[in-house]
Amino acid sequence: MRKSYLNNNIKLEEFDALTKITAEMSKYLYPYIRKILQSKEDPEKNTVIWNDFKKRFKELVNERFNINSMRVKKLLNQTENDEILIRSLLTLSFCTSNKGYQKLKKFLFDF
Amino acid sequence: MIQNSLIFNQSSVSLEIIGLPDYSNNENNDQISIISNWKLTIINKPLIEGKIEHLGPIMEAFYIYSNLLINNESPSYESKLIDIHSDNLHFHNLVLKSSKPHSKPLIIKIGNSLLSDIVNCFDQLNESSKVGIKKSDIFINTPKKIKFSLKTNYQLSNFFLPPLISICSLILFSSTLLYFYDPVEYKENKELINSKSIFNNQ
Repeated sequence: MRKSYLNNNIKLEEFDALTKITAEMSKYLYPYIRKILQSKEDPEKNTVIWNDFKKRFKELVNERFNINSMRVKKLLNQTENDEILIRSLLTLSFCTSNKGYQKLKKFLFDF
Repeated sequence: MIQNSLIFNQSSVSLEIIGLPDYSNNENNDQISIISNWKLTIINKPLIEGKIEHLGPIMEAFYIYSNLLINNESPSYESKLIDIHSDNLHFHNLVLKSSKPHSKPLIIKIGNSLLSDIVNCFDQLNESSKVGIKKSDIFINTPKKIKFSLKTNYQLSNFFLPPLISICSLILFSSTLLYFYDPVEYKENKELINSKSIFNNQ
């Protein structure tokens, strides 16, 4: 999915390390993640946060991902990506505890 | 006797655990091993409280539901004590059933933000060393099936792929050589060699 000509499979240690970094980042960013989720719950009151988040997400995907891939196109699709984004934000928000990386690992395996 | 109280906070939710330390186990004064009561306070929602026997099933319900929410199209959890259903991807209905007869169940509607706050409060309780409670291990253990598949995929591919690729490439390479092989020409050459050897022997 990424813009890369190398198709290396991730090693188990690298996967573990990435999971730990993501869980630590989600702990740090929990207040923001919560705000984004909350703004989607009541779109009439406050859509600015959700729209800003979505705009930045799209920019980053366009910048770093291979946009010719079908899976990436699905991520950029206006009608389909809301669900993917909410599920991803929820996954991160559930993994903010000290053992969050173990939870995140389990979520990723089940995905 | 004055009871200990521990509060776990996360944004709009707080979980209070009230109880006593187990002195027969030589525990410190600030420990809680004998839980007498717990309260889950959600801002702008009715108070949820119960006894120790209710806490475990409610925590488990939230953990299982949060897992279903991420992996399932229409998540739903039902038990004797609590039902959780999703209205849509943003809102969830909690139905808390009272153990007392003739009392109506309490219905609370919560959004994703409150749901994640509640799960985080339960996580804090699970990880707290001050509360002696049977720890919920729903998320701690990776299923054995997954462990196996991860390890074996990595090892099996490393072990079997190189010889398999080499055998396939050998077959492909040798099959291309068949195009250059002409049986008639080979037969003529062989006859010529044979006749030469006979001539030499004579």
